[in-house]
Amino acid sequence: MPHASLLMPLQVLYRHRQLIAALTSRDLKARYRGSILGFFWSLANPLLLLGVYTLVFTLFFPSKQVQPYPLFLFTGILPWTFFAAAVLESTTSVISNAGLIKKVMFPAEALPLVVVTSHLVHFVLALPILLLAAIAFAIHGDITLHATIALFPFVMILQTCFVAGLAMMVASASVLFRDLRDILTNLIQLGFFITPILYQIDTIGSRPLRALLRLNPMTPFVVTYQDLLFFGHLPGLADTLLMIAYAFASLSVGFVVFERLRDVLAEAI
Amino acid sequence: MSFAISVDHVDKSYRLWGRRSQFATLKSALLKRDLKLAPDASVPALRDVTFAVDKGEAFGIIGRNGSGKSTLLKIITGILKPTSGRVTVVGRVAALIELGAGFHPEITGRENVYINGIMLGLSRREIEQRFDKIVDFSGIRDFIDQPVKTYSSGMYVRLGFAVAVHVDPDVLLIDEVLSVGDEEFSAKCVAKIQEMKYRGVTLVFVTHQLDQVRNLCDRALWLDHGAAVEIGDPTRVVDAYLQRVAGTQVSTVTTSDESAGERAGDPPDKEKDPMEEERWGSGEVILRRVAITDPEGRDLVALGAGSPVTIDLDVEVRVPQTDFVFGIGIYHADGTCVYGTNTDLEGLLPDALQSDGRVRFVMPSLDLIAGSYRVDAAVHTRNGRAFDYRRGCIRFVVGSRIHDIGVYRPQHDWKFDGGITFRAVDNLKRNVPAPIAEYIRSAEEKPKRRK
Repeated sequence: MPHASLLMPLQVLYRHRQLIAALTSRDLKARYRGSILGFFWSLANPLLLLGVYTLVFTLFFPSKQVQPYPLFLFTGILPWTFFAAAVLESTTSVISNAGLIKKVMFPAEALPLVVVTSHLVHFVLALPILLLAAIAFAIHGDITLHATIALFPFVMILQTCFVAGLAMMVASASVLFRDLRDILTNLIQLGFFITPILYQIDTIGSRPLRALLRLNPMTPFVVTYQDLLFFGHLPGLADTLLMIAYAFASLSVGFVVFERLRDVLAEAI
Repeated sequence: MSFAISVDHVDKSYRLWGRRSQFATLKSALLKRDLKLAPDASVPALRDVTFAVDKGEAFGIIGRNGSGKSTLLKIITGILKPTSGRVTVVGRVAALIELGAGFHPEITGRENVYINGIMLGLSRREIEQRFDKIVDFSGIRDFIDQPVKTYSSGMYVRLGFAVAVHVDPDVLLIDEVLSVGDEEFSAKCVAKIQEMKYRGVTLVFVTHQLDQVRNLCDRALWLDHGAAVEIGDPTRVVDAYLQRVAGTQVSTVTTSDESAGERAGDPPDKEKDPMEEERWGSGEVILRRVAITDPEGRDLVALGAGSPVTIDLDVEVRVPQTDFVFGIGIYHADGTCVYGTNTDLEGLLPDALQSDGRVRFVMPSLDLIAGSYRVDAAVHTRNGRAFDYRRGCIRFVVGSRIHDIGVYRPQHDWKFDGGITFRAVDNLKRNVPAPIAEYIRSAEEKPKRRK
């Protein structure tokens, strides 16, 4: 059994690129098959979400936080949704494809990666909406757009690595430890509130609480997206280093865990 | 010949899963990297199985439910890892363990063909090249753009099989899937598999359809409780299995008459000449002597094409029977079955096999082309359990000056009308009498008697 190295995930990804691409497009097609709007939902969903936030936080609870609050919220919530949905869905990715694992010589690692790619596609499809919203607010004079927005893809690559590693971990571990899904559902709900999506980290008064928020691995990612688009400045050095560290740590641990559990998967499902 | 699959001392144990053991497995897999199982926490599925399958060979695996057949197939495929031992497979493997595994119900047949093909190791371009062949084979072109959830189970399986056989594997593993589909499609599957065999694809079947093992396989393996009981000639292995199922002990048949050549029931021997007689059965009824004779009752070893021939079976009844079938098979030296029949196939209903007697299979004219042939003779029950099965018990040679080809020479004549004429008939090229055939035979036969 070859030892997991940092290159291995990329090798696997390359070797099974056609399979992962085909399965991702199958997932996306199957998701919208039979619905009238079809693929348009991928655009409509974030648009409607933005509408709801704008409505709620301008009419019902006018926020005293950063302005324009809906755009701030939207910037943080998209990458969070990508993370949360991909990780949660990965818990069942291997289990629900038991037929493939047991009956076909199938690279099991492709399954969580397919979940990650299909959620990444959703994330990418929502970006034009985010950009249009930012332009609209900029024209209105609420914010000014900066070239820093061009750094988005780099953050997205790092976040995808981070999410992929976690996805591999939970996909394989949940086969043997099925409670993982329920534990994660609740943890992720908690995570939403201890990630600076609804608020800015500096507005938290208590110092230990701020330290806790800093420990949350999703914090640097969300903060960086906000920096690049909303505030229009470069990410801090600490956040950048943290993102890189989390991305690589997650990928390597994810692959090691998956490698170790691989041999039991076909039997344990 | 080089091997395509080598299974070397393979053991497989399945863990017994309990509420806690899953979590324990997770912990030990992650922390200790140690997946050794305590004996009380595991069930053995395969014990020390060793065999090799040659390239281009068709290999059957039989055994009752739970004997480890599917586990073995999954280990060869690579889906499961052996607990100990080694498995080596050379070339591209395709496994038909479950047809259409991985089809997604919501998307169309067309899209599923692509995804299934990629899963089986084809590239997108390779699938494009084969797409029409796949769809034609499946016979569901009208529905290929419908979502798979609207398919009947038969259509589902047809499409799954069509994709799998068009992967062009070097090794094809088939688990009990030939029994699916209607008659027409089953026949198509068997024909396709024979075509693949002809092209040199190595085939491994797991099946309960023993006829398929007899007809399609070159060798067979009988697994019982995870251990290999017999490996070898498929008819012999299937028969040994049937004997066990029938509850009778397989015993060595001994004959009082040695004229047929060797003693029967010798253990299978790897170095054995393929033309040597193989013999097995329960011994309740014995074919004491099998001979090929002319109408006057004289033994023949060489004959001219089109001679009248009789195959005599001298039957010794040790235990009287009411369920019995006599069978004859004639094979060319290259193994091709020229003709096979038995009393059951021809509608003879057995009444009583009380005491010794003689069975005569009379052929007014044996219309074969020149070559060496062997005869199988058997007496068995109607479900195939052998009392005495003698494979290759006699050999004979047909001599002929005519170098026609094939195996069968229909009685025929050439007629010419109009402006088509031939000068004369070269009589030297007509059938040769027995003495000349005998000369040809002695020239062809190599010295190879074991004893």
